[in-house]
Amino acid sequence: MTQLFRKTLLSASVSLAALIAAQAATAQEAVFVMATNEVGAPTYNPIKATMLNTATGLLFDRLVSQAADLSYHPWLAESWEEAPDGMAWTFKLKQGVTFHNGEPFNAETVKAWIELFKTTEGENGYMAEAIASAEVVDEYTVKFVMSRPEPNLLYNLSSTFMGVVEPKSFAALGDNYGVTEVYGTGPFKLESFAIGQETVLVRNEGYTWGPEVAANHGPAKVERLTFREIPEDSTAFLELKTGGVDFLLSVPADLMGEVQKEANLAVLTMPGQDVWYMPINVTKAPFDDIRVREAAAKAINQEEILASVFGGVGAVADTFLISALPESHVPDGAKIHYDPARSNALLDEAGWAMGEGGVRMKDGQPLKVTLWTQSDSIFRRLTEVVQAQLKAVGIEAEITTFDSSTIRDQYKTGEQQLAVRSYNWDNADIVDWFFGGDRLGYPNVSMFNDPKAEELRAAAMTGARNMDERIANFTAYHEYVLTQFPMAPIYQPVQAMAYNTDRIALPEKIDAPAFGAAAFLDLQVKE
Amino acid sequence: MLSWLIKRLLMLVPVFLAVSVVIFSILHFIPGDPIDNLLKIGSSPEARAEMEARYGLDRPLPVQYGIWLSNVLQGDLGTAIVARRPVADLIAQALPHSLRLGGLALLFSTVVGVTLGVVAALSRDRWPDRAIMGGVLVGSTMPSFWLGLILILIFSVSLGWFPVSGARGWQSLVLPVLTIGLGGTALVARITRVSMIEASGRDFVTLLHAKGLSPLRIQLRHVLRHALIPVVTILALRIGWILGGAVTVEVVFARPGLGTLLIKSLAQHDYPVVQACLLMLAMAVMLGTLMGDILQALMDPRVRAAMT
Amino acid sequence: MIAPLRAFRHPQGGLAGCWLILVIAAALAAPLLTPYAYDVQNLPQAYQPASAQHWLGTDEFGRDLLTRLIYGARTSLSVSATAISISVLCGMVLGAAAAWFGGWLDRTVTMVVDLSWSFPEILIALILVAIIGPGTTGVMIAIAVAYIAQFTRLTRAQIMTLKGETFIEAARSLGAGNAHILFRHLLPNALAPVLVSAMLATGDAIILEATLGFFGLGAQPPVPSWGGMMSAGSALVFKAPWVIIFPGLAVAVTVVAINLYGDALITELDIRSRLRSGA
Repeated sequence: MTQLFRKTLLSASVSLAALIAAQAATAQEAVFVMATNEVGAPTYNPIKATMLNTATGLLFDRLVSQAADLSYHPWLAESWEEAPDGMAWTFKLKQGVTFHNGEPFNAETVKAWIELFKTTEGENGYMAEAIASAEVVDEYTVKFVMSRPEPNLLYNLSSTFMGVVEPKSFAALGDNYGVTEVYGTGPFKLESFAIGQETVLVRNEGYTWGPEVAANHGPAKVERLTFREIPEDSTAFLELKTGGVDFLLSVPADLMGEVQKEANLAVLTMPGQDVWYMPINVTKAPFDDIRVREAAAKAINQEEILASVFGGVGAVADTFLISALPESHVPDGAKIHYDPARSNALLDEAGWAMGEGGVRMKDGQPLKVTLWTQSDSIFRRLTEVVQAQLKAVGIEAEITTFDSSTIRDQYKTGEQQLAVRSYNWDNADIVDWFFGGDRLGYPNVSMFNDPKAEELRAAAMTGARNMDERIANFTAYHEYVLTQFPMAPIYQPVQAMAYNTDRIALPEKIDAPAFGAAAFLDLQVKE
Repeated sequence: MLSWLIKRLLMLVPVFLAVSVVIFSILHFIPGDPIDNLLKIGSSPEARAEMEARYGLDRPLPVQYGIWLSNVLQGDLGTAIVARRPVADLIAQALPHSLRLGGLALLFSTVVGVTLGVVAALSRDRWPDRAIMGGVLVGSTMPSFWLGLILILIFSVSLGWFPVSGARGWQSLVLPVLTIGLGGTALVARITRVSMIEASGRDFVTLLHAKGLSPLRIQLRHVLRHALIPVVTILALRIGWILGGAVTVEVVFARPGLGTLLIKSLAQHDYPVVQACLLMLAMAVMLGTLMGDILQALMDPRVRAAMT
Repeated sequence: MIAPLRAFRHPQGGLAGCWLILVIAAALAAPLLTPYAYDVQNLPQAYQPASAQHWLGTDEFGRDLLTRLIYGARTSLSVSATAISISVLCGMVLGAAAAWFGGWLDRTVTMVVDLSWSFPEILIALILVAIIGPGTTGVMIAIAVAYIAQFTRLTRAQIMTLKGETFIEAARSLGAGNAHILFRHLLPNALAPVLVSAMLATGDAIILEATLGFFGLGAQPPVPSWGGMMSAGSALVFKAPWVIIFPGLAVAVTVVAINLYGDALITELDIRSRLRSGA
């Protein structure tokens, strides 16, 4: 009798436990859609990849974390100190941190990891370029000996590209590191990765070293994250609307209204890190004439684009940098604004007289130029508006659409005249990346190579001894570039995300510049 | 039968070689260079040469072809330049999705197409015939990406029956299969109808009628059997379409598959992947043709007699 | 009365023929039919549903959709028809040469044609556009090449059948040369089936052109094409569904009409069996 009772009780409790477990399993999963500009990232290798997606930031922790106000806070490093002359940095590391494969994290691993930047081929070496060597002071103290002062070091260390990889497996796996297997110290481990399709991450149960900016320093609250890659924004939105996914990491401005129409969907916005702009190839006639460049730049009606293409969400761009950066504060005269009167006057002055059919002529030649764009629908839409705005001052632009992955190859030919593109970065050194005289074609789509700019660039990149100097030097460099009109700024979006409020509970405050590890640690899935 | 089959298989060898030459050479006409994607920006020409040497792109084309072919014959499809992993992995990831989608679409268009074709033939020139043939005509003239989007709007967004995109579970297959299947249905229905009508005029049918068999029985047992021969031939030839023609539908439904893999690698100039995808398709086409021949032989007593 | 006119006597053929004439006439007379320009943007008027001013509504730039549909017919029809004409010319030359001269030429042509015929046209076209580059010309050439196989097969089959006919034998015995027989006797007789199947293929080519436009490879903006319009519309399905629905209907109705009219024409010309012998 008691036997039977016990058995029944036992089986009941087992099935109850199973039931709870099953429920918990469904409740602890969430499906995210990767931002459309991150689709197709081929590897989770931060040392080699030129493109890293949001999931990368969950696999790898960094030495320092950045708060929403762009200040720096401890993460894998507990504290740090810069030598007065800027020639050395000492980091005290957190203890008890382990990699996903069980290897310990300590000064030795940091040293080995920094060396990987020097020995691995790829684009990302510049991240650690100013570090001459890393020295182990004791097991949990590491000293970076600098080749020059680098006021930007903490920024680099907080970037996903400086996510700390486990050096032994990195060496052993070679090209497979980041593709088939990946080992970091992050709050999630890689379960599967199908390129261009789907990445599945599972919680790192032993995680206790979350960044200071997150409320939760322990294991993440969600057990399993699926990141789907959907190239079309409208398809992703329909998935969210029909409950197929829980969270979109990017929502274009023109769809935000549609999201807000649904009762169970909400938009989350964070300050943007993108700038949309029109590079102007300074080497191609008629744009070798600075007056024609300025005329084209000032023909762009940023307000109209903001209102009509982006539904009034975000802000106009009048410099090359996002306005959150201090280096974007150039004198008003250097900012580039819509000014059709000035455009027309400049074109007249340059000898381009208005001709038949609203196209300007000079020496019997019409003012006809090419305008390149990529095939994503938002680019095509924006480019068509730009085309119409140029036409309004008498410039006829012929659009050519390229696949987003081939357009870089096309830029390398240097044949472009005008283009519409965007970048995503929140540091002033992006001016160097896109206008440096040694990167003509791509990334320097404008083919801009000016001796004075190169001088200012060298001072900005390597000549600053502290942050104030760096800001001053970069502001001067940025300002000079603007006055040469190698591009027209167009628009800076906000980072807009959308999620299902029945499924996802967001933390009250996301104290980070972007939706990354801190947000994912605090995020919860509802029953 | 066996010797016929062997002869038939041997005939595929020169075809395979010709196809492989075409596939290999055509890619080198595409402007753009995969090495550009790999090189550090501002690299020296030496670094470029070194990288080209690593991927064997510095050798003369015929040599590159020879190496590629011998590797392929040993089952080594090479390493993807941009995706940085074995091409075989990428194919293995994509192929099951393509086979599932293509196979089901083929099944759908065969079953529905033959049924509709038979009904149309039996009611020749009366309203069911007209309605069916009109319906399948309309079904086959809608661009597949457009049809796919309309189906998504109706069945996923309004009714909520099927997922919008992706490849998780059988539910995600329904709409893509329908989208591809509808196009194929028209073809199958048309051929079935015409060959049913033609076969009904044959002498053996008149004989069966004279024997007093019921007309419906004659149609379904004897006429249909003859009528299916051209259907099978055409379906076997369409295997290439089933695998590669799904590319638009894969894009609309954000599904993985051979078509999407091919288009993406084409855009990235990832030669080894494109070559492997095209080779897979070409082999599917050749096998499809062979299967068509065999099936036709098995079904048609005259051909069967000629074989032995 | 000639066959294309007789085809109008069939109820379906007549209706279909009328639609085709309407579409072609509208495409030709586009500037006279509409008060709007296809490329002038009017952003405050964007995303308007159908109204008295805009019968089919406006697109994302406030342009009149009906205007763009009519101008789009120009692009789509001219690209498809030109492509198929090139295809037919090349296919006839290849097919006739293969059938007439036979031997290794015939074997090579047949093998190449059989192979490319087994590949989906969309893939052939996508690869060719990757080589030539996007834009109207690239798409035209790509479609032309994708369909050469079909016409080569058909022409070859026609010539093969005709070769044995008595009137050819007669011409030969009268001392006529290869070229004379080929151009004066064989090709004219093979023409009817090839032209009808060219017409049917134009329908397929319209769909192919639309599909390439959907991938953003066709006519470059602001020039409208049906495929390009649907491509832009696919991103707006829930905001302005008409932007994608109407061009899709235009494609479907036009292709149905081409098929129905072609069918009537086949009946009138009595060439049904000859068409099948080549397919």
